[in-house]
Amino acid sequence: MPGASDVTVEAMERISGGASRETYRFRATWREDGAARERRMILRRDPPASLIETERRVEFAAYRAFHGSAVPVPEMLWLEEDEAALDHPFFIAEELAGFQAAPQMLLSGAYDAVLPVVAQRKWTILGEIAKVDPAKVGVLEVMQAPPADQCWRRELDYWESMLDRDQAEPLPIVRAAIRWLRANPPPPAQKISIVHGDYRTGNFLYDEAGEIHGVLDWEMAHLGDPLEDLAWGFNPVWAFGRGLAGGLVPQDEAVAIWEKASGLKADPAALHWWILFNCVKGQGIWVGSAAAFNRGGNREPIMIYPAWWLLNTQDRAILKVMGKL
Amino acid sequence: MNPEVPAVLMQLAGVVGRNAMPGVPEAERASDLGLTAMLLALAAEVWDGAAQNLVLENRALRKLLGESGQDDDFRLSKLKPENDRLRALLIEAHVAAEQAGDQARQEAIWAELLASTERRKLSVSLL
Repeated sequence: MPGASDVTVEAMERISGGASRETYRFRATWREDGAARERRMILRRDPPASLIETERRVEFAAYRAFHGSAVPVPEMLWLEEDEAALDHPFFIAEELAGFQAAPQMLLSGAYDAVLPVVAQRKWTILGEIAKVDPAKVGVLEVMQAPPADQCWRRELDYWESMLDRDQAEPLPIVRAAIRWLRANPPPPAQKISIVHGDYRTGNFLYDEAGEIHGVLDWEMAHLGDPLEDLAWGFNPVWAFGRGLAGGLVPQDEAVAIWEKASGLKADPAALHWWILFNCVKGQGIWVGSAAAFNRGGNREPIMIYPAWWLLNTQDRAILKVMGKL
Repeated sequence: MNPEVPAVLMQLAGVVGRNAMPGVPEAERASDLGLTAMLLALAAEVWDGAAQNLVLENRALRKLLGESGQDDDFRLSKLKPENDRLRALLIEAHVAAEQAGDQARQEAIWAELLASTERRKLSVSLL
């Protein structure tokens, strides 16, 4: 803000949740070109230890890649990686105010009439994400593109290494799943896409009409197989106990919406591989959450709840996907 | 449960104490205490059955692995390391059964994994 003066920050408050970043909303006021200006903004700061360890720069680039496109995202304003100012790296973005994000609210019954609209928008937007050429939106500087036939191996290697590092107890079900995944690899990716990495009900802002106004939580964004992104939302954990994809519609309907929007095909066997992989990834995240608590880096309640709530549920999801439950 | 219940309860005591002080922003207090309440409810839920589940599971695992012996010390701090030892051996047995193509053995191991998952199921399970 080179032309700004009298900058003030007011009404700062922390937004609950956010196990991977601390999130605050505030109102900024300043004078520029002789006029008073005001804008509501969001501050996202790295906590001492996170549920998901990622580089802030990657998340910032992912948001910027889609701003002004068919994929609604808040505008990214500033990125600060130096820890001198606020002890940890942070970025500031515009606030998209007046919308809901909580899946509990969306699936409470009050929104039942618009759930098909939400589903249509949710998987259309994901198809738009898959369709984008990463080279044309400026992410190649911060995201490494894997060979099409190595997408699965890179992701599986990474999440297995996280489980090796973080597990506090033997995990026989997830280890069996990993062995099956390695013995039955999927075909090469149809294309290399930007993968959001956490595209599920709960990570977008919606209104009462079912329109989606912002896709959030890009901290696990990377380049890879677009089926990985489609399959993350089909991890049975994200059905929220409703037996529907994302708690919204049957899985085949979601796939059809995504295929139409992306112009890509979701081969059932490849999709199954990626759904099971995402169950392993989910377990990696929940185990990592417990490990962050156990190591003492972050002992906030938000680090405990995912582990207690989801470790057993994720095992059940693996059993279900493998046809054992 | 991972993290283990005593460490969590100790942490939650600190969270409640911190939020009992004046000056904590309302949204932060609501988030902290709401999560704390849910965690306390889960701790209460697993309390009564924790030792029983471990004894049952250790017994089933020993039988599956062909081990003799039994649990003589029923403190959770003793039962859990034994459970970890047995589950690590179960992974090795599972790998061996897969490599040998022993379908009956694999099915027996999956049956125990299913049973142990059911034992550990919480009322808040999404599945």
